[in-house]
Amino acid sequence: MKMIKYTWLLFSLWLLLSGSALAVKLEISAPGEQTIPLAIPPLQPMSLVRPEVAAEFQQVLESDLDLSGLFELVNPESFLDDAQRLGLRSSEVDFAQWRLLGAEALIKGGYQIEGEKLTLELRLYDAITRRLLSGRRYIGGLKDVRRIAHTFADQVLHSLTGEKGPFASKIAYISKRTGNKELYLMDVDGHQPLRLTAHQSIVLNPDFSPARKELIFTSYDKGNPDLYRKEIYTGRESRLSMKQGLNIGGRYSPDGREVALTLSKDQNSEIYLIGTDGTIHRRLTNHYGIDVDPSWSPDGHKIAFVSDRRGNPHVFILDVHSLEVVRLTFEGKYNATPAWSPKGDRIAFSRLEGNQFDIYTIRPDGTDERRLTFGAGSKEHPRWSPDGRFLVYSLEQAGKKTIHLMRADGTGSRKISPPGGNDSHPAWSGHW
Amino acid sequence: MQKTIIHLVVMLFALTLLAAGCAKKPVAEEPSMMEETPQVEIQQQEPVAVVEQQVDDAAAAREAAEAAARRAMGGLVRIHFDFDQYVLTATAKQTLANNAQLLKAAPAVKVQVEGHCDERGSDEYNLALGEKRALATKNYLVSLGVAADRMSVISYGEELPLDAVQSEAAWAKNRRAEFKARR
Repeated sequence: MKMIKYTWLLFSLWLLLSGSALAVKLEISAPGEQTIPLAIPPLQPMSLVRPEVAAEFQQVLESDLDLSGLFELVNPESFLDDAQRLGLRSSEVDFAQWRLLGAEALIKGGYQIEGEKLTLELRLYDAITRRLLSGRRYIGGLKDVRRIAHTFADQVLHSLTGEKGPFASKIAYISKRTGNKELYLMDVDGHQPLRLTAHQSIVLNPDFSPARKELIFTSYDKGNPDLYRKEIYTGRESRLSMKQGLNIGGRYSPDGREVALTLSKDQNSEIYLIGTDGTIHRRLTNHYGIDVDPSWSPDGHKIAFVSDRRGNPHVFILDVHSLEVVRLTFEGKYNATPAWSPKGDRIAFSRLEGNQFDIYTIRPDGTDERRLTFGAGSKEHPRWSPDGRFLVYSLEQAGKKTIHLMRADGTGSRKISPPGGNDSHPAWSGHW
Repeated sequence: MQKTIIHLVVMLFALTLLAAGCAKKPVAEEPSMMEETPQVEIQQQEPVAVVEQQVDDAAAAREAAEAAARRAMGGLVRIHFDFDQYVLTATAKQTLANNAQLLKAAPAVKVQVEGHCDERGSDEYNLALGEKRALATKNYLVSLGVAADRMSVISYGEELPLDAVQSEAAWAKNRRAEFKARR
């Protein structure tokens, strides 16, 4: 009897523990509702001591994981002596100490520097079951600290939710910091900005190829708003569409084989499909009103777009095969810049009310509209992260334009664009 | 060879006479005949100006045409639109009537009609709206007798505001179509 009781106790304990471990598999679309207490003690040196390397890694990783909204970081001031010990193997970690602090997850790591070479060894533990959830060794240069931290943050999300994070991807945007609007690329946290064009003209509205390290955008470089393509690493650039009139709002299809864009070659803006060689495949809209701003559904069967065919600008959905058009938004008087989520479940857009845009999302069937942004300033150009967890957007306030990130539910918004610029029109790459 | 040149001169002479229409004086004595042929061709396009000129006074005709072009380019007045509209207002139509007179008086002048928007709409929508504004402007000028092939259109959307201040007055100023000389 006593034996049975004891077994029962053990079993309930196991249930409790595994229950906690399972609780770690969170609902991805609702971050912030349930958080995991996570401890990230500083990286320990394995040979040379370079505290600034450890500090930069810590800052990047904490910032990414904080943005995810899935964690509550255990206060470093409460850390006990295990935080200063290099022991990375599960047998070497004093899990009891971390449980005492309430941590359910623990990231321990060490760094080794030889000349310019940097090796990071990182481990994510379930502090309750003492199980290694993810162990990674990264070898790179000293300049790669940020990239390694972003990559590991993506890995942490993958281990805990089954879906990789977007932190190692890139954001393209338009900046006027040279005096002209040019195309730039930066990390998801706004670091390492890089100018890609030198058109000294007007460059607009970028989009990433889903298949290659390549961007499309519109530029007035040759005196007409033409659509350009640019290979990011080789710098090779060519004009993809240069019809008389507008060649704007280019968006790669999810398979990367076609581009939807607005052309006005027949004196009225219509949405077309062109091939990656620039030839017109199909005309998708046929209406005397304005049709602009296409955004593909992730399955490639539908396109959300903006049209004033019912008077004011509203978002409509077009069936790419039947060309049937259904109206999506009915509220408000000016809805624009739709962006279909990579999961397919929601469409983000911006609505002008008074003199200010705010960002909303809605289901593709027109139900469950939600306002995500509040407060001063105009928020426009929402674009989803490749995992659908976050949105990037432009904010214009008092004449200054900056780029911000937030979670898909509108929480956790933060400015990411580097200081001192006039930055807008972000586009989020796929997993890099 | 000699004959061919004589033939050419005779043909050009005939052309000049034709072009000059009611020219009173023969102009064959003019030594710079060959060089001035291009101007003669321009006069073919603007008989109205030629009728009032002395035929041998080609330089003056050219100056008159240039003056008309300068007057036209200096005198073409931009027009404004209501928010999210590309319909021409009554004021805009009056302005365009005047612009049409100037353009018709200077037939050699080619213009680009630029459509612009205020910053409030979405950029893509504004690019399309700016183009509608430029086209509405061009089409109205065509209806007033300005040749369509003298005018091209381009939209700059909200990219080139006249006044970057965020106020109703600035926005009203920025919603416009304007005219630039085209080479």
